[in-house]
Parts: sequence; structure tokens; C-alpha cells
Amino acid sequence: MSEGPLTASAIISFSTDLEARSAGFYRELAQRFREHAGTFAGWAEDCEKSSTQVTRTYQETITDALEAGFSFAGLSLAAYEVDVDLPPGIGLDQALEEAIALEGHAIAFYQKVAERSDSLLATIPRAFRRVARTRRRRLEKLEALG
Amino acid sequence: MAILEEPFEGVLELQNYVDGDWIESEGEMRDVVNPATMKTIARVPISTQDEFDEAVAAAQAIYPEWRRTPPLARARCLFRLKELMEEHFEELSRVQTMEHGKTIDESRGETRRGIEMVEVATGIPTLMMGYNLEDIASGIDEYLIRQPLGVFGIIGPYNFPFMVPLWFAPFAVATGNCVVVKPSSEDPISQLKIVELAEEAGIPEGVWNVVNGGRSVVSAMLDHHDIQGVCFVGSTPVGRDVVYERCGAAGKRVICQCGAKNYAVVMPDADIERTVASCMTSFFGNTGQRCLANANLLVAGEGLDATSLDAFYKDVVDAFVEASSRITIGYGLDEAVQMGPLRDRAKKDRVLSYIQKGIDEGATLRLDGREFELVNDLPRDCFLGPTVFEDVTPDMTIAREEIFGPVACMMKADSLDEAIETIHGNPFGNAASIFTDSGRWAREFQYRVECGNIGVNIGIAAPMAFFPFSGMKDSFFGDLHGQGQEAVRFFTESKVVIQRWF
Repeated sequence: MSEGPLTASAIISFSTDLEARSAGFYRELAQRFREHAGTFAGWAEDCEKSSTQVTRTYQETITDALEAGFSFAGLSLAAYEVDVDLPPGIGLDQALEEAIALEGHAIAFYQKVAERSDSLLATIPRAFRRVARTRRRRLEKLEALG
Repeated sequence: MAILEEPFEGVLELQNYVDGDWIESEGEMRDVVNPATMKTIARVPISTQDEFDEAVAAAQAIYPEWRRTPPLARARCLFRLKELMEEHFEELSRVQTMEHGKTIDESRGETRRGIEMVEVATGIPTLMMGYNLEDIASGIDEYLIRQPLGVFGIIGPYNFPFMVPLWFAPFAVATGNCVVVKPSSEDPISQLKIVELAEEAGIPEGVWNVVNGGRSVVSAMLDHHDIQGVCFVGSTPVGRDVVYERCGAAGKRVICQCGAKNYAVVMPDADIERTVASCMTSFFGNTGQRCLANANLLVAGEGLDATSLDAFYKDVVDAFVEASSRITIGYGLDEAVQMGPLRDRAKKDRVLSYIQKGIDEGATLRLDGREFELVNDLPRDCFLGPTVFEDVTPDMTIAREEIFGPVACMMKADSLDEAIETIHGNPFGNAASIFTDSGRWAREFQYRVECGNIGVNIGIAAPMAFFPFSGMKDSFFGDLHGQGQEAVRFFTESKVVIQRWF
């Protein structure tokens, strides 16, 4: 993905894309590791809910009074790109490592954008922090599964 | 970065929406052009006076029934409209970007502001309440009730094609009136989307009508006996000399929100980084095509000697120019774009003429918006980059007249007093901002400045839907403003009843 300046729209799109890809990742895990299907499927659903929450909050917050076109100057999304492709035949331990890496990147993204939007946007940083919190809990459970 | 998908393809053949029906106009059809791509995206009718009159007749016919509908039932229609607007949020936003040119964040912001108007209007059961007093004399009670008036006309501007008619229409309809909206013929599509949703929300036929057109429709609106009042947003010459004057002569209520030349005053204790970030949206948001845009940045050297003021001024201007030079320009559906095109070529030419005037009158051109790069491979017809002039003086044309484009003038004043007097030297009084950490200076500013919408460390002092959209001097003509409780007052008459029972 080539980067221009990061408008609010671009950040939200990155977030929805991240959640969508994470949901796909966890559904794949649910398929491959049936013993934990319920857990992984639940996390896929949580990702979709997070996406809805962030999008809804952004749509409810964005107004012409806010510096939405200029809020995230200097931030680079490249640092938060994630690889969600699961190689065929990998074992649970390796899959969990991939999931832990995914959550680590995602949490770092949400924490950073929450921090950057604190002074300019209203409820958006709270929505980002909420997703970060959800993912941190998931990370703890992933580490416990391993 | 993603270029978002356009919400429709081809060329829409637009119609009027009258009495619940989509009606093909007899009038001439004009192209609606996407200013970023220069492609025709719709054709809009320039309706005739007769077609406008038919809309008023339909509104007048349904008015008694709508007026008798309980306020709560009217509010429920608006609740449903709000939900439909939320469902269609992204589509409505992308349509605005296509028809106007603004960025997708700006369009979504406009959609949100429009929805907020509907949300506030759903509070009409409370907002419309009167008051009473028992025993004004023994056994005699007195009370005030607010009653609707009939049919109102709304003339929308091109710069906020979705939001501005919603400053008025939801309040008019919620209070039991009916409306005939004339969108700007430059970007009418989003208004027609609104009435599609209004119909789906259950607002009865004839209550909310849209008649597309130009001067003939405006003239018909101003002359029509059954139009009780007119809401207009646009230029001062049209607002003051046409709409306000003719409404006054005809005894119609009128709201005219007009032109502006807004100042951002930067005090020595201002946070330069945050001030400049705020100013980017304020000066260049909507490509400068907004009545709340700041146009003149005035560095006030309160308490500074001349050398220190010059140094502070230089710091502010350098930071402003640097930030402005990084603004990305292109198609608003591209998420990397921070500023879209002007609405059309004629508007760009007008802005160019002001840039030339600034040069001719001796201002220093620090950033030349005529030299710009586009993020997308598109026709350059309507695009312009941010322009910054420094060493502008209040007597210069570019300091005095509304440019309505991405041109910023950097100015200096020795003190807050001088800054305020400079602001007062301008005939407009729409908005003004002060950037400072001092409560004392901020209070002094808000107390004295003769502008209706004041920002303290806020670049765009856009009132929320539950406040009036204010304005003074040559920026506003009328007595009551749009939005909030003032809109409720505008759309209702107070009837006072004194009763006694024998």
C-alpha cells in the first residue's frame, strides 16, 4: 500500500481492513483447529463488531469542525501491516505465534492512533482504545492456549 | 491509498419531487459536472414558475392535515429519517464528493452535521412547548402556544449542498409546516437523495418537496402569496438586495445567511503547532468555499515590541506556509487527498483574479496555489493549490473582499485592540477566531468582536445543531437564525390565549 498523508478516512479504512483480515484469519483457524473452533469463531465475530464500532464512532464524530484531513500527519501505516496468510499444514503452536504477532501489531496500531487523535477528535480515541483492550484480552488468551 | 468507489454510474436524469411524486420538468436541463473528473454525472431541470407554484399548492393542500398531526408523530417520522440517513451515510457522503468536489472526510462531516439537525428536530415535542400562568386575574388563565404558519421556501447554496437545507427543513417540518426546497442547480443530487429517504420515513406527500431550478424558481418563491417565509444561504448581494428586500416588502419571514471575511487572531501565547493544524482545516477545508472559513490570519503582538512581533509573525507564517505546502490535492474520493477542487471553472477563475489582485496591490506571494501537483491523473480545470500572501494590509482587496477559495492572507497588528478594530473595519460579521492561552484575551475578544460565530482555539466556529447559526452585519439579514430553538421560533407564531370559564 503506497502512502499519502493520513487522513481520518485513511485511518478508518486501515482499521476496517485490519479487522476484516483478522476476522478471516480467525475463521481459518477455526476451520483448521476444530478443538478451538468456538474460541476462534468468536474472535472472528469480535473483529467484525470492532469494525462496526470504529466505523460507527467515526461516522458519528466526523464533522467539518475537526481537522480530519490533517490529524495523523507523520504516522506511517507500513509499520502496522500484518500478514494473515496461514501457510498450509502448520501446527497449532505456529498458528498461535502468528496470531500473537497479529495481535501485537494491531494493538500497537490502535494505541498509536488513539494517542494521535486525542487532542483533535472526540470519541474516536476511545473507540480505538476499546479495540486495543479487546485485542489485549485476546492476546492473553492466545498466550494461555500456547 | 484507496480511491473509494463512486456510488453511482452514468448520468442521472434528475426530476422534481412534488406531492410525493417524481415529476419530469418542462424546463431546460443543465449538466451537473463532477469538478474533479469534469464528467457530467447528472442533468438537472431549471424548473418553471408554474412548476414551483404547483409544489406550493401541494404543500398548502396537505398543510392542514400535517399541522394537525401530533408533534410526537411528526418527530417519529424524523426519527425514521435519521435512521435511514445513518444507513445511507456512506452513499450520501460519496454523492456529495462527486457533485461538489469536497474530500470524503469533509463530505462525511457534512452528512453528520445534516443528521444532527434531524436529531435535534426530533425533540420538537419539548422544543415547541409554550408556557402559561394561572390566575392572571382571579379565575383567568393566560397561556402561549406555538403554531406553525404554512409553507416555507428554502434556497440551498452550492458549498454545502446536503447540510444547509437541513438547517431549516427538519425544524420546519417538525413544527407542522411544509417546505419547498430549491437546491443549488450546481449540486442538487444529495437533496434529492434526502427526499427519497423522507418518503421512506413516512413523511406524507406534499410536506417535503424539492423543485430544482434557478432564478425563476427563486423569484417565484419570493413572490408567492402562500410562502410564509424564505430561508436563504448565499452571497450578500443576493441575500441582502434581493431575498431580504423582497421578503420584507411582501411581509414574509426571512433568514439570509450571507457572505463572510473571517479573521483568525493569533496571540503571542498561542500554541503555534496546534494553531496551524487548526488553521489548515479552517482556511483550506472545503477548498476555502465556506462562510466559516478563516481568510485572514492576524498575528497580534500584544505586549511585544516591534522586533519580537516581527519574529513571532515570521514563526507563525513560516509554519503556516510549510503546512500549507504539504496539502495534497486531488479527487475527494481518494483517501490521500486533503483538498478537492473548486466547484467549477468560473469559481477558480474568480479566485485566480484575486490572486492577481493581491500581487498587483503589493502583497508578498509566499505560496503560489497556481503551481500545484495533483495526486490523481485528472483534468486540472477546477483545481487550485493553497495560496498564501503575507504582509497583507487591511485596505488591500484580498483582505477586504470574500474570495471563497483557498487563499490565506497573513497580517500583523500591534495589539489585540488593533486586531479587533481591524476586524470591525470589515463589513462582514460571520465568524472570528482567537488562538490564545489567556482567558482574559479570549473573553475580551468574544465580548467585543462583532461577529456571530466566535472560536476560541477553534478554527471553524460551526455551531452545533442545538445552537443557532449566528451572523451579524453584512453576513446576516433577518431576526432569527437557522438551527435549534431559533429555528423553532422562526417557523412558528406565538399565539397568546386568555381564558375564563363562567
